[in-house]
Amino acid sequence: MSLEPTATSPASAHLRAVNKFYGDFQALKDITLDIPPGKVTCLIGPSGSGKSTLLRCINFLEEYDSGEVRIDDRLIGYETPGGKRMSGRRLREMRCDIGMVFQQFNLWPHMTALQNVAEGLERVRGLKRAEATARAREALAKVGLADKEANHPSRLSGGQQQRVAIARAIAMQPRIMLFDEPTSALDPELVGEVLAVMKQLAAEGMTMVVVTHEMGFAAHVADRVVFMERGELVAAGAPREIFQHPTDQRLASFLQGYRERNSLDF
Amino acid sequence: MLEMLHRYGPDLLTGFGLTLLTWVLGTVGGLVLGFFLEMARRFGPRFWIGWPIRAYVEFIRGTPFLVQLFVLYYGGPLIGLRLDALPAGVLGLSLYGAAYFTEILRAGFDAVPKGQIEAARAIGLPGRTIVWRIMLPVMMVSALPALVNFAIILTKETVILSMITVPEIMFQTQTMMSETFAFVLPILILALFFWGFVEVISRFGRRLERRFTHYLLEES
Repeated sequence: MSLEPTATSPASAHLRAVNKFYGDFQALKDITLDIPPGKVTCLIGPSGSGKSTLLRCINFLEEYDSGEVRIDDRLIGYETPGGKRMSGRRLREMRCDIGMVFQQFNLWPHMTALQNVAEGLERVRGLKRAEATARAREALAKVGLADKEANHPSRLSGGQQQRVAIARAIAMQPRIMLFDEPTSALDPELVGEVLAVMKQLAAEGMTMVVVTHEMGFAAHVADRVVFMERGELVAAGAPREIFQHPTDQRLASFLQGYRERNSLDF
Repeated sequence: MLEMLHRYGPDLLTGFGLTLLTWVLGTVGGLVLGFFLEMARRFGPRFWIGWPIRAYVEFIRGTPFLVQLFVLYYGGPLIGLRLDALPAGVLGLSLYGAAYFTEILRAGFDAVPKGQIEAARAIGLPGRTIVWRIMLPVMMVSALPALVNFAIILTKETVILSMITVPEIMFQTQTMMSETFAFVLPILILALFFWGFVEVISRFGRRLERRFTHYLLEES
């Protein structure tokens, strides 16, 4: 299989009236949201508010039940809105333009850092091994891990593992990157190195959607912050509006709680 | 004793060869069939595929191997399946092994962290590649000892093939016993043979395990 990158410009994502149910529980309620290209959108909110579910609908790891999710103008997951599922091949084709970084890194433990990064290049993008290896090395160098390419994940710190995971995603030359609480599983002293790589990506103009509890990152790096609670999109706006002038009561009390726990001022 | 060995040696060697052959074919056949059953069960429709496979596994696990072999060998012709003793034995061993192997593989695949599979799907890897490149190597860490263990159990099940006249080593030993009325020596030879055979497989299994788990054993 060989899926060449379709374009190199950053993509936008558009969600229209997206609903997601787990049995009787409604995890997403009528979410409509535009993710602008080349910008950083942070999703914040309490645990269980649907942030991760929303993020995972963007690459269809989570199947939404109704509504539309589009990458640029291409619907993901279904042939037509509410229609039948799209073919596996077309879904894979769309997915390799969407990078994803997980809370638990999810590196493949039997492969070295280099192999983890090269795997998709070789088997999805269809590059020859030498070329895949060269590009994987570039990606590892970009996240500052050129010297760790021969290490298996078990011999890397959490921060290093997450940076390999970012390298694995960016090596595929995605047009949009999804981050699902990328620093939540890290020891506090390792959070910085991962955020630094993410800031660098943001500065390069990558479209990024970040589910995070790092309010500092959201406040300083995000172009747009979206607050969710109980499956609903409650507020969205520039970080300044969200953090300094919250108009919604639920957002204000969420931020208040966060400030009290962290005694931080942003 | 030497005279006896001289007289029965060639037959014992033939029996040894056949035991080896039936074991290798039965184990490989069982593994391949077990793998396909597991794939069908995991990715196929639950009603049409899942339930029949489960019933098959329960039948094999719930009945003695000897009974299954008789059903296949003596009952087969009733449905037009006429097999010689050797192919019937190999097929019986494969069908028997497959039921156990498929259960070991099921547990192994279930133990692969979901996130690692999601990461593979998120990057666009096709399902078959995910199974071969991610799930199989990862699950081998936990499944390989059980797979090797069952392959070892199968070595000893091969003696049951003597009951449908496959001239493997048990059959040859029984012939030797009935013709010479010597019991202790032949059965000791048989026991030593199996012990040695199993020892070789164990060593091979341990080497294989090291190969699949080397990344966990690296010193940090």
